[in-house]
Amino acid sequence: MKFAVALLLAVSPLAAPAQNQWVLVKSTLTWHITHPMHEVDGASHDAKGKGNCTADGCDFLIAVPVNTFNSGDSNRDLHMLQTVRGAQFPMVIVRTHLPQSAIGSPTIDADLEIQFAGQTVHYSRVPLQRITKGTAIEITGTVPATCSDFKIDRPSFLTVPIRNEIPVTVDATWRPM
Amino acid sequence: MQRKLNQRTHDLKVHQTLGLVTVVPLCAAVIVAGGAKSKRNKADPTAPPIEPGSEAVDLHAALGAATATLYGFTAYYAIRAPRIPGVKPKGAIRLHRDLVWIHAPGMILTPILGGLALSQENAGEKVHGIASAHQYVAWTTVGAYGASIVAVSWPIHLKFWDKK
Repeated sequence: MKFAVALLLAVSPLAAPAQNQWVLVKSTLTWHITHPMHEVDGASHDAKGKGNCTADGCDFLIAVPVNTFNSGDSNRDLHMLQTVRGAQFPMVIVRTHLPQSAIGSPTIDADLEIQFAGQTVHYSRVPLQRITKGTAIEITGTVPATCSDFKIDRPSFLTVPIRNEIPVTVDATWRPM
Repeated sequence: MQRKLNQRTHDLKVHQTLGLVTVVPLCAAVIVAGGAKSKRNKADPTAPPIEPGSEAVDLHAALGAATATLYGFTAYYAIRAPRIPGVKPKGAIRLHRDLVWIHAPGMILTPILGGLALSQENAGEKVHGIASAHQYVAWTTVGAYGASIVAVSWPIHLKFWDKK
């Protein structure tokens, strides 16, 4: 009996964290801007993320350096960095809290808290899709961000500013730790 | 660092504005160029060429000088814009920068050759030597300058109709 209890105590720490902690292993975050003369995407693959699940639900955090977004034009990327005050606020940080049940659902309505350009903005019920790939899960979705949400002065070209909407698409693959 | 980025954006915005303003006297100089050179007498091909009016020459020279001056200020703002360490030029900006090697010498050479051509004409000589390259250098400069504007704006996807 003592041996059985000892064995149970020994293996339980291995079993529990395997399902309760998640790590971001692969990600693509892409902003999209629209101008009457241009449609541009800038992507970053350098996000770091961690998820921690307890009986109260799961807390996820993703952080990505602003200067890792690449639009294929160094001049535009530097202008973006200046416009979003990237030297003062070098990270985009996304936090969300999900109920345990949502983790297994194919669609998740997430309440996101995003820190970016010195502002913290909440987006409610952002629809995300979940695909299981072996032990990993892939989460995809689009954050309906706007320049005005983050008090970003819209850049202009030939005196015409870009559209206020700057949707950010997220493709993130998580694995249990 | 943020101050450096702000300064850079400010300088490049002035560079962009001045660059577009420079297009106005540049195009005007090209348009009036035809009236500033001597023409063959079509009625009597053996007669000496018809000399241009001094007003036309002065206007062409003034527009050329305005173009070169504005170009100088445009270039100044591009040169003084702070460089950001560790950032290598990538994308459309590379061609925009490379074309400087054509239009910058062109902007210097064109008025010099124009001045030489004018002094030869004033001396009653037919334009000859390096001065005869004035219009070819000018057209090359105009072409490179136009290409430079298009290059930095590329790729262009016109969506003026999309009001969403």
